[in-house]
Amino acid sequence: MTNAIDVSHVSKTFRYVALERTVSLKDALVKRLFVPRDQRRRTVQALKDVSFSVGHGQMLGIVGRNGSGKSTLMRLLAGVFPPNAGTIAIDGTLTPLLSLGAGFHPDLTGYENARVELLVLGFSPKEAEAKLDAIRDFSEIGGFMDAPVRTYSAGMVLRLAFAVAFCVDPDILLLDEVLAVGDELFAQKCLTAIEGFKERGKTIVLVSHSIGFVERWCDVALWLERGEVHMFGEVQSVLRAYAENHARAEFG
Amino acid sequence: MTQISSTNESFALARRLYRYRWLIYSLVLRDLKLRYRGSVLGFAWTLINPLIFMGVYTLVFSVFLRAGIKDFPLFLLSGLLPWTWLSNALQQGSGAIVAGRMYVGKTLFPTEALIVVPVVSNLVNFLLSLPVFVVIAVLLHGHLGVALLALPLLIALQCAMTFGLVTVFATLNVFYRDVQQLVAHLLMLGFFLTPIFYAPDSIPASIRPWALANPFATMVIAYRSVLFENSFPGIDAIAYLTLAGLVLLGCGHLIYSRCKDSFGEYL
Repeated sequence: MTNAIDVSHVSKTFRYVALERTVSLKDALVKRLFVPRDQRRRTVQALKDVSFSVGHGQMLGIVGRNGSGKSTLMRLLAGVFPPNAGTIAIDGTLTPLLSLGAGFHPDLTGYENARVELLVLGFSPKEAEAKLDAIRDFSEIGGFMDAPVRTYSAGMVLRLAFAVAFCVDPDILLLDEVLAVGDELFAQKCLTAIEGFKERGKTIVLVSHSIGFVERWCDVALWLERGEVHMFGEVQSVLRAYAENHARAEFG
Repeated sequence: MTQISSTNESFALARRLYRYRWLIYSLVLRDLKLRYRGSVLGFAWTLINPLIFMGVYTLVFSVFLRAGIKDFPLFLLSGLLPWTWLSNALQQGSGAIVAGRMYVGKTLFPTEALIVVPVVSNLVNFLLSLPVFVVIAVLLHGHLGVALLALPLLIALQCAMTFGLVTVFATLNVFYRDVQQLVAHLLMLGFFLTPIFYAPDSIPASIRPWALANPFATMVIAYRSVLFENSFPGIDAIAYLTLAGLVLLGCGHLIYSRCKDSFGEYL
């Protein structure tokens, strides 16, 4: 049996230009001409030789401190950018729910944003149109579907994003720290949807800072530390080690 | 089974554009709708601008200055309409990546689509203005005929040139927002330095080759021969436009592929 996700020896390096953000044309030209190339560009290794796999129907929780590479890993899995080394194999359709509202255009309405997102995910206009009613119903934001997203509250953005992800009904769902906002009722609705998702044998990868949440829902856990896999395996043991490490860092 | 790895693929752009054809189609449609949302005259506005130009320039150049160009209104429109496509696409397109920053680097939304949309939606506007041109040409007894067969080729070449140039400007605009301002001024200069409202032969012969080296001058002259003189553009003009299209596409591809990884830092 193949795995839903196979990640082997993946590394990701970001290059960034070490210039001031607001540059004048003169400055920019001077630096471009006289500062040697390797001094202008710096690199950050966000992920280093990361390998793990997730079986079909499993739910993986990714934990780690800020800047440990969790979001980079999620974006690699989503295919936003390719890794510098290593391979990622995905078996099935995948829908990412990355940083909240990142893919929403503030001037477009809820409907228009949902439509764009569906088209980005590869649906035809007809298929996208057919899903819009279900998205409106799931999100429960009613009339706001016709209003520009800039008028939405954070909770409404979350509702819309979740509604799109669930109505697409992918084989694999990526959730990057998106359950933090939203009211109790809608959170409950999302959890019910996630449960249904799991029951139908679908795969979920989620990033969360809430250890309790990961413990309750996930089967396997991945602990990232400075871009490397510190521990990967059954959820209880990984979380226990992670919690101990945390306690030591705080009190030791 | 999807494989994501570091291997670089050629023709990746073409494949991505095909994959996202529905997205581009829908964004173009939206762009066109949005332009006329809430306006009573709608699409007519796209035509009013060139028609006002036609009226004023005819008055100034045929009546006041007596430049002596025969059928001046059609002469002007045949060059002005393709120039309008270029000009609007560049103005809208050079800010496109910055305007779509919420999609870049964080989502699956293809950044290339942001650049393609302004080129295509202004192409659609150009195509919609052609029937109106034909009506005016018939009313003013213009010469339209078999040379129109060359029109699709010219349009394809202009697509390539415009897309290449928009890619260059839109990419640079991410790093230096001055580019958008610069483009507006370049277009103003370009409008006067391109034989749109004057004939190429009115440029003194000694500097004419330099003045006409601009590929968009070649483009306007080629459109004019098709839409105004009913003669096929010369093979040398087509060759030059093809070369310009390839060079501009190449420049666009080079700059874009070198810079796209750092977009996130600057947006």
